[in-house]
Amino acid sequence: MSDKTIVELTNVYLKTHRGHEVFKDLNFKLLSGESAIIYGPASSGKSTLIELLIGKRFADSGSTEMFGSLLRPNKKRLIKSVRRKIGGIGGLFSLVPTYTVAENITLPLVLAGERKRFQKERLMAMLAEFSLLNQANVYPEMLTRVENTLVQFARANVAHQPLILIDEPLAGMDPKTYERIYEFMSKLAISGLSLVIVSSEELKSHLPNTSSYHLSNGGLS
Amino acid sequence: MNQFGHVIKEIFRNLYKNPGTSLSAILSMTLLFLLFDLFWIAADTSDKFYENYLSDLQMEVFISEEYPDSALTILKNEMKNIEGISSFVFISKEIARSKLADLVGVDLLVGYDSLNPLPESFVLTFHNDVLNSADLADIENQIVAQKSVSHVYYSKNWLAKAESTKNIITDVGLLLGILIFFTVLVSSANNMRLTAKTRAVGFYQMRLLGAGKLLLAMPFIIEGILLGALSAGIGWGMIFYWKDKIQFSNFEIMFPTLEELGLYCLAAGLLGLISGYVGIRRLLRL
Repeated sequence: MSDKTIVELTNVYLKTHRGHEVFKDLNFKLLSGESAIIYGPASSGKSTLIELLIGKRFADSGSTEMFGSLLRPNKKRLIKSVRRKIGGIGGLFSLVPTYTVAENITLPLVLAGERKRFQKERLMAMLAEFSLLNQANVYPEMLTRVENTLVQFARANVAHQPLILIDEPLAGMDPKTYERIYEFMSKLAISGLSLVIVSSEELKSHLPNTSSYHLSNGGLS
Repeated sequence: MNQFGHVIKEIFRNLYKNPGTSLSAILSMTLLFLLFDLFWIAADTSDKFYENYLSDLQMEVFISEEYPDSALTILKNEMKNIEGISSFVFISKEIARSKLADLVGVDLLVGYDSLNPLPESFVLTFHNDVLNSADLADIENQIVAQKSVSHVYYSKNWLAKAESTKNIITDVGLLLGILIFFTVLVSSANNMRLTAKTRAVGFYQMRLLGAGKLLLAMPFIIEGILLGALSAGIGWGMIFYWKDKIQFSNFEIMFPTLEELGLYCLAAGLLGLISGYVGIRRLLRL
């Protein structure tokens, strides 16, 4: 595990166009291989935090550094390369409805320009790991909610993305599904990847190698 | 699948998933291009018709009675120096009398040989580049300035009317061209936008995963080029299919050369490229 900083938010201040202060003085740092779970009530800014990390929104003041680079609105190429290092599940992230499960999973590899053979190898590995072998040629509309989430997990992991952002992963899930998703998150958390999980519900048990934070009043505690 | 393969697959996916939109794009563009093609043929044909008539245009220069024959030599020399005159033929009183007899069918001057009132004249022909109102008027002025010339005649009014008609055809063609350009652009861009809108969620996700704008736009741009060039090609294909079936005996229908057609299809493809980009542009923002 390296101690390379992959996420660093420093004194982030952000308010919406209606004047609501989302973040007042937000500071957050995540080293490579570490994971964090951020709890917060609805409208506390959890999804906005995800948007900051992928360069979809920018702080009014303060800085967002991802993989050692400062994200700014005019640095389109940097934002593109940062996004390619991030896997996303839930919230903003969903599957491409016109692509099959296999096409959705390999999408990050296509965007990275990986070779076809490597794409196939990784696809098979992901389909096997997430028990999706029978769904490879199915379109997202035919999937159950769990399968949909699993495909997103597979997509977030296929290109060995070093950071995975997960938005409300377990909201409204039945106990069996909850266990399955929790198991995958635990697996990822101990595999050396970094996870940033935002959730409004407390997890039933603590994820390994993961620090917990609470997002309230525009800051983390 | 590499990125090139992805782009190709996306083009086919667009066509396969939205056949109605693609078909409507092709049909509407073909119709518009066909309209433009027909006008192009009409304009070229009328141009050729006009050129043929003009090449036969002659100017008659009538000589005053009171000037001696030596004045004719001076006039001939002057006319040789006027730019644009390709030839001139002298028409003596006798030749004029014979021409009149040919025209009327009877010699009206029998018995009045010494009183032939017909003037002597020169019939002038011109190089093609001066066969227009302005240059011919200029030549006319230079000739009329000669003392031995009584007056000059040529189809001035017909020429002015023909030129004005030609200008109107050119203006209408230009207007039609501009109208068709924008109609094709707007209609094709809207078709692209419709196709792209059905995939807005996909674009959004791909942007979140780090897809570049070019990668997302490229299938639509290539599709635009293909649809534009194909529509232009279909239009000409239809015209050439009917070409041999329609013929006129009194004038020749002018068709563009293969080179011009190639350029035209290329331009149509370029128009499709712009439409493709305009159609997708807004959806690429993130």
